Amino acid sequence: MSKATIVTATVLLTGFLSAVTVQADEAEQLFNFYCAQCHGVGGKGDGPNVTADFPVDPRNFTKADEMEKLSDADIKNVILEGGPVVSKSPMMPPWGKTLSDEQVDALVQYLRKLCNCVGKPG
Amino acid sequence: MRFAVIVSFGLGVAALSVTGMVGADPAAGEGVFKANNCGDCHYTQGPAQEKTIGDQMAKKGPELWYAGSKFQQPWLEQWLQDPQPIRHIKYNSVTEENPGDHPKLAAGDAASVTEFLMSLTVAEVEAGVIKPKKSAKGRLIFVKKMPCSGCHEFPGKKFKGGRSGPSLLNAGTRLNPDWIYAYLKNIDTFKPIRMMPNFNGVLTDKDMKGVAQYVANFK
Ligand code: HEC
Ligand code: HEC
Ligand code: HEC
Repeated sequence: MSKATIVTATVLLTGFLSAVTVQADEAEQLFNFYCAQCHGVGGKGDGPNVTADFPVDPRNFTKADEMEKLSDADIKNVILEGGPVVSKSPMMPPWGKTLSDEQVDALVQYLRKLCNCVGKPG
Repeated sequence: MRFAVIVSFGLGVAALSVTGMVGADPAAGEGVFKANNCGDCHYTQGPAQEKTIGDQMAKKGPELWYAGSKFQQPWLEQWLQDPQPIRHIKYNSVTEENPGDHPKLAAGDAASVTEFLMSLTVAEVEAGVIKPKKSAKGRLIFVKKMPCSGCHEFPGKKFKGGRSGPSLLNAGTRLNPDWIYAYLKNIDTFKPIRMMPNFNGVLTDKDMKGVAQYVANFK
């Protein structure tokens, strides 16, 4: 391998890594701003909206056994269209007119970090 | 004779003071607004400036550049003298309670600042479109079809609503009904970055009007 190739590879790799970090920070900010009000800052479903009378528990994203049952595409779909699209409660709002496609993808990845799990394929 | 003179004199004073109020000068109110450092937390020059979540988080209070189109004048003048919390949780927070420590104004200053804030109107709010109504359809949208009640306190029977958005309990005396509809329709004009989703396109125009009528009827 020539010196030039190593330098290029290093530059590319560093560039790639920093792009990923920026996205991860942004995803956390997105989650805390839009989702934590119901799902809680740590994703346990305990945001400030969830009082004793709240009609339906927002999903706890740290429960891997539940989150594994959803594919990444399922999660993206429910974020964009809201609960009813997957026969869940309308208390889960539709964010498709608010968030960009890239922002929703970043959120899906962030939820995977919270559950520390991978979804079923598809 | 003497009685008539006194009466007409009295009427003259009453007429004068009424004219005095109507003719009051928003610029004087702007002076009081500045002198009380209200501008440290509220901006009054439109259009909306926020582009990122960071911009929104840096704000210490809601924008007031369209206050004259948003609020009802009697509510505003009263609230500035006795500012009870509107949001249950602290502005821009999802973990802390509203400390309820908003600065207060004396009656005279409140009247003057109200005069200034009510002069801040915008063309996007069309007058006379929304009449407050106990709309059954509006209720269905607010509590069943859409998550409005998940974030807003409202006059519900058992479930009284969420806490992350402003309380809408007294929306009928606080907010201009036409502004509620304009806000649902053009949310990005008023609050480009906010914790509330954009419902234009999720709800039809008719549904946005229906839910605005319903909210405007909360007393
Ligand atoms: C107004 C409260 C509220 C907000 C805000 C909210 N959610 Fe939800 N969410 C819920 C509720 C309630 C459920 C559970 C619905 C059910 O089980 O019927 C849920 C469920 C979910 C689910 C699981 C869906 C399934 O198929 O089980 C995902 C994924 C989700 N929310 C993601 C998000 C993301 C991402 C955000 C921020 C962009 C967000 N939510 C904001 C209330 C909310
Ligand atoms: C330290 C920051 C701060 C200062 C100074 C301040 N405000 Fe506020 N103001 C806030 C916050 C935060 C809220 C939201 C309060 C709530 O939701 O209960 C608010 C709410 C308001 C509202 C209602 C706005 C809305 O959209 O709900 C008005 C009107 C207002 N302030 C006027 C004033 C005036 C007039 C002054 C000067 C006397 C002033 N404020 C000084 C922080 C401030
Ligand atoms: C996910 C939470 C959430 C949902 C769902 C939601 N809102 Fe909001 N709403 C908010 C927040 C937060 C604000 C204040 C935004 C700001 O000032 O930055 C707000 C502001 C408002 C206001 C203006 C109140 C004021 O005093 O400024 C009205 C009116 C309103 N919402 C009505 C609705 C209606 C009607 C629905 C359902 C179609 C709805 N909201 C759904 C969170 C929500």
